[in-house]
Amino acid sequence: MKSPEVKFSKAIALFLGGQVVGLLLGVLIQTALAGVYNGAYFKDIASWLLGVLLALLGFFYGLIGYYGLVKGLVWQVLGTIAGGLLVSAIRFLMGLEPFDLAKFGFTEGGWVAGALIGAIAFLAGVGALTDWFKWAKGEKTFDHHQDPEGFIKYFGVSLDHKVIGIQYTVTSLFLLMVGGLFALIFRLELSQTGLEILSLQMYNSLMSLHGMVMIVSILVGIAGVINYLVPMLIGAQDMAFPRLNAFSFWIAIPAAILLLSSLALGGFDTGWTGYPPLSVRAPLGMSMFFVGIWVAGWSSILGALNLIVTVLRMRAEGMTAFRMPIFVWAATATSIISLTATQMIGLAFQLVLFQRLLGMPFFDAAKGGNPVLFQHLFWFYSHPVVYVFILPGLGVISELLPVFARKPLFGYKWIAMSSLGIALVGFLVWAHHMFSSGMNEYLRVPFMYSTLLVAVPTGVKFFSWVATLWQGRITRELATPMLFVLGGIVVFLLGGLTGPPNATVSTDLHLTDTYFIVGHFHDTMFGGYIFPFFAALYYWFPKATGKRLNEKLGKLHFWLMTPSFFVLTLFMMRVGLLGMRRRIADYDPALSFDPWHLAMTISAYLIALSVLVFIWNIIKTVKGEQNATGNIWKSRSPEWLVPSPMPPHNYDQPLKVVGEPYDYGLEGSKYIEFVNKEEHE
Amino acid sequence: MSGNHNNPSDQLNQGLVIFILLGFLTFVEYMIAIWNQNLLLLSVVATIKAGLVLYYYMHIYKLGNIDEGGSHHSLAWKTTTNRLGFWLFILSDAFLFAGLLTTRFNLLGLTRPHLDQQLGLIVTAVLLISSFFMNRAETQMKAGDTKGFALSTIITLVLGIGFVAGVVGVEWQEAPFGVADSAASGVFFMMTGMHAFHVLTGVIFLGIILRNGMKGVYSAENCWPVEAATVYWHFVDVVWIFFYPALYLIGIMA
Amino acid sequence: MQNKKHFIIIGILILVVSVVTYYGILALNLLPVAAAVQSQPIDWLFDLEFKLISFFFAVIMVPLVYSLIFFRQKEGDDSDGPHVEGHTKLELVWTAIPLIIVIALGIIGAENLKQVLAVDPQAAQVKVVGYQWGWRFEYPEGFTSTKLYLPVDKQVLLKMESLDVIHSFWVPEFRIKQDLVPGQITEYRITPSLIGEYKVRCAEICGNEHAYMESPVVVVSQEDYVAWHDEQLRLAKEAELASAGKPDAGRGQALYVESGCKACHSVDGSKGVGPTWKALYMSSVPLADGTSVTADEAFLAESILNPSAKVVAGYNANAMPSFSYLKEGQVNDIIEYIKSLK
Ligand code: HEA
Ligand code: HEA
Ligand code: HEC
Ligand code: CUA
Ligand SMILES: [Cu+2]
Repeated sequence: MKSPEVKFSKAIALFLGGQVVGLLLGVLIQTALAGVYNGAYFKDIASWLLGVLLALLGFFYGLIGYYGLVKGLVWQVLGTIAGGLLVSAIRFLMGLEPFDLAKFGFTEGGWVAGALIGAIAFLAGVGALTDWFKWAKGEKTFDHHQDPEGFIKYFGVSLDHKVIGIQYTVTSLFLLMVGGLFALIFRLELSQTGLEILSLQMYNSLMSLHGMVMIVSILVGIAGVINYLVPMLIGAQDMAFPRLNAFSFWIAIPAAILLLSSLALGGFDTGWTGYPPLSVRAPLGMSMFFVGIWVAGWSSILGALNLIVTVLRMRAEGMTAFRMPIFVWAATATSIISLTATQMIGLAFQLVLFQRLLGMPFFDAAKGGNPVLFQHLFWFYSHPVVYVFILPGLGVISELLPVFARKPLFGYKWIAMSSLGIALVGFLVWAHHMFSSGMNEYLRVPFMYSTLLVAVPTGVKFFSWVATLWQGRITRELATPMLFVLGGIVVFLLGGLTGPPNATVSTDLHLTDTYFIVGHFHDTMFGGYIFPFFAALYYWFPKATGKRLNEKLGKLHFWLMTPSFFVLTLFMMRVGLLGMRRRIADYDPALSFDPWHLAMTISAYLIALSVLVFIWNIIKTVKGEQNATGNIWKSRSPEWLVPSPMPPHNYDQPLKVVGEPYDYGLEGSKYIEFVNKEEHE
Repeated sequence: MSGNHNNPSDQLNQGLVIFILLGFLTFVEYMIAIWNQNLLLLSVVATIKAGLVLYYYMHIYKLGNIDEGGSHHSLAWKTTTNRLGFWLFILSDAFLFAGLLTTRFNLLGLTRPHLDQQLGLIVTAVLLISSFFMNRAETQMKAGDTKGFALSTIITLVLGIGFVAGVVGVEWQEAPFGVADSAASGVFFMMTGMHAFHVLTGVIFLGIILRNGMKGVYSAENCWPVEAATVYWHFVDVVWIFFYPALYLIGIMA
Repeated sequence: MQNKKHFIIIGILILVVSVVTYYGILALNLLPVAAAVQSQPIDWLFDLEFKLISFFFAVIMVPLVYSLIFFRQKEGDDSDGPHVEGHTKLELVWTAIPLIIVIALGIIGAENLKQVLAVDPQAAQVKVVGYQWGWRFEYPEGFTSTKLYLPVDKQVLLKMESLDVIHSFWVPEFRIKQDLVPGQITEYRITPSLIGEYKVRCAEICGNEHAYMESPVVVVSQEDYVAWHDEQLRLAKEAELASAGKPDAGRGQALYVESGCKACHSVDGSKGVGPTWKALYMSSVPLADGTSVTADEAFLAESILNPSAKVVAGYNANAMPSFSYLKEGQVNDIIEYIKSLK
């Protein structure tokens, strides 16, 4: 048998080979299309990204052979070509120009059809549809699914929620690095005035993709944490619909590829919000962006559906609503939003797509369209979704604080209800993004009120957290997860408190579309998601692997990231208030923002460094020998009462809830019991 | 009526009564539209129609039958779980159509596209009749009548295809405007197109349960896919219940 | 009692920290100078919110840090904390107080907005046109400027429209921002209060050159304004007379820059959003509908005044806004300039 080490070097070799072949192929295709060879083709981003695609394919092929992910990717490429050719054929039969050299070969319709067929082909190739084809043919499918041994199971379809959770999480980290890399590139451009390294078009594409890739990374990341944790926390063997679960994960992969492909196919210049009419005029990349997000939306919707049913149907005996671990409440509230609101962004993007493809003039004022309509549809999703980002994160904070404060969660019911409250009120505030948009003026004041209202349930969470810590017995050593929890609280507090100035209309007229807003949302998203996400990773890593991440490196990660992050966002807010607009590649030297921007850029690189420390920590720990199989955090939660790593079907014996989840400090209290064990005793 | 859930022939009769009621209400709707254009009245009638379909054809009350006692491996437990999931999917999809309606009212206000009202009434009737047969098919399957199920399903399928042919094949060709002419035309094609796409998905779904049903995969007790297809089909009908007045009846012709 | 002591200490600390934070924020000078009457209420509300932020920051941070310092397990101690599950009255209090604050803030905010939007019926009107990527200000007396001149202490109503995509009118010193939406005329009322030169900066992403969509805004005294105004009128008349008499490539070149043609049309043969003007005159231009046309004066004039009438092959039909506001003489100047580009 070959050792994994050997395979790894083969994978690296194929990675490099793929990059070279892809690049050359790209240059060759362009030469063939244009009829002349031009040295500048080597600088073309499309060729490089083709190289990256082949490199990744080569890498995974070297690692796992023609299986799962690799098969899916190959099928996706073939599906895309087939879809494009299909449209070309139809156009040819209709007497239209079948190809469009200005748009990288296919016409725009061809690319969109190719994108959709490619995504379906990916799913078929990877094997996520197999059971449904069987079902349609009336054949039997089996509930019990055996994963292959070893790490290869992470690269193919698995029905185990823990495997899927890890697949999601790793994908999320990968996207975080890609989105972060984009930020690092455009931050370099911003470090001083003038245009030095990027073209305007490239800046806009990278900035817009940074926003959306990060958002998709968050959606995938929360799906990862939720998938891994919720069945364990409620004492279930798996999610309610394991097959749908696998489908939801695997559809996110082609979606991410489509999203990133927009960079190679001309980019786009609208920001992540894609407002028409600008997005109607944007290059082909815009369509790929729309299709990518539309496909990713299905991952969210189906994942949310699955989660709600799981929580409603799969809880262990005796786990009443107010005895669920608090994270489950957060996950449910989040899923209610994803399930319903996601359709609106899908529709908004489809409308623009149809205007681009068929000329349906939804947003063309000259033909009776209304550009502001798009903004309403878009924000009807995109505001609630910010609460999708944070609710699970705040759930993680609520879940971990009692463990490290050794004291019950203060006001459990209030925290649980505040999650629902935030989710529901969150549906009524969308137009606060549109105070200066030219929408009906009388709408501004009611939306100001509803927006401010969100501060109330959010405040309940903060006060309850503080009360949980108050007079607790906080562990002597602040372990890394606890550090990230505390960091999350502080950063999110800053982000949250900068919300009301945006909500009161007259001040927002100054703030909107400035770096103040950029500072506001980096604080909320980092505090509400990134910090708790890292807390969760440090905390549950031993559960997943049986090994504990290195504390020293963990602390280095935290202490590198947190101060840099404060510099980044506080400076953003400062320059924003003083007149720095968003989404500009270059700023007026007269404003003398240069030193502030330079400091932001340096902080951005320090944050990136801290993430690299984290990755290094993971690699080091996984290779290391130190085992942590017990209840290392002394938690009362069911998943810690069985040895780590978690066995394939979670709990061998069904469990029964007999007490409150967070009764720290109550002598002899129990949260759960294992049913059969008791009988034996 | 709801007391007789278990008696098959009562169930068939109930389906018929509801169908007649729905047909009558559609006629009322049409008359209101012709005579006085009362928006409130039209929405009330549409809501009643949707309510009837949701309750009697889609059996929304079944969502309340949560059999906590059953083992997690029992068929009843699984069906209840599936049903819950499926309804959540429908809820999600409903937001898409709500968004389309919002778009329509935002862009068109109280005007409507230049369409043939009679054709609208005809396709609406076709879809309504198909719903009746779908209900029959489900009831027959639940009563163990596989042959009857197959026949009713085939009729539903044919009517469904007829509906799409009416909308896409006739209405789209006859419309005195093209997709790119105005926002109103865009809205018309988008709404009918999105709905037709759902009908086509339903047709495929029906094709699958028809084939499997005839192969004997389902039985009276074990026929969740049949129920799902039924619920889906009726959902598409409910959507049309709102789209029909929104496109053909409400407002003055632009 | 132990508890009481803790509460007194954090009470004092909260006060101290919120005051320090608030003055810290003030010391940072976070707002540009206020140059309009409308900026005053806005800055007042900012100030109130800085106070609120400082206070709530302290309310959360002080007990948090305090707990971290004082409520720790001692060396070798691994006992749990007291079993306190919650306190309904306390929860009610910290739900109710923010609720009251938030409602008050809403009322204050609405009142504040009213002040900001106060209407002076006497306000003069200027039409603002935004396009990719420039601004144009059309004064009611019939001249057009690329700089916005405003008299101090007088309310002016800007009627704003966009020729292509969404833009946003923002002068940071005025505080207020308003989008320009295609197909809609949006309004912006401002009463400048401080003489000086500022810049209007487009605040809504509108394509590649969004960063550079800036124009000077000059607030001048009443007398200076009248002088500027008369000068503009005179210049406009002169230019018109001159152009009508004899088109001039030099003036055409100036218009090429000022009217924003430069953003899309190169004169050196390179391809931009629109076709280059180099060697355009009398060349054969392929159109999108498959035919082609000779670029004579008539075609050039039509392309400027009604660009979508004939669309050049390979270009976006709606990309070029109509420049029908240009005077006949000005169009002739531009055509003269195009002719000169061999
Ligand atoms: C995770 C994401 C997240 C979260 C949680 C929030 C939370 C909030 N956001 Fe933010 N927001 C974004 C992400 C988020 N936002 C993004 C991404 C954008 C920009 C999108 C774009 O244009 O690209 C944005 C933009 C944005 C705008 C539009 C700005 C503009 O473009 O003009 C507004 C306006 O009202 C706003 C308001 C708020 C408010 C009031 C909250 C509230 O929920 C905050 C509530 C919390 C607190 C207030 C703190 C704790 C409370 C207390 C301690 C109690 C006491 C407090 C008081 C009584 C005040 N946000
Ligand atoms: C969760 C969401 C999230 C996160 C984490 C971040 C993280 C960062 N963001 Fe961003 N940001 C957004 C969401 C997010 N952002 C959104 C939604 C927008 C709006 C876009 C729009 O206007 O349309 C935005 C916009 C935005 C802007 C405004 C751009 C503009 O208006 O012109 C800026 C400017 O500084 C910025 C900076 C940064 C920086 C420096 C980081 C840093 O924290 C990044 C740190 C770096 C990493 C985390 C990567 C580390 C990894 C590596 C170095 C290894 C790489 C290796 C491989 C890939 C193999 N972001
Ligand atoms: C936002 C971009 C944009 C701006 C600004 C712009 N144009 Fe154009 N222009 C175009 C595009 C795109 C075309 C080709 C499509 C068409 O014909 O409508 C074009 C075509 C033309 C043509 C047709 C002849 C040809 O082949 O070049 C003329 C003449 C012209 N523009 C003149 C002007 C003048 C004069 C101005 C400024 C006063 C101007 N344009 C500003 C985008 C622009
Ligand atoms: Cu105009 Cu940005
Ligand atoms: Cu929002």
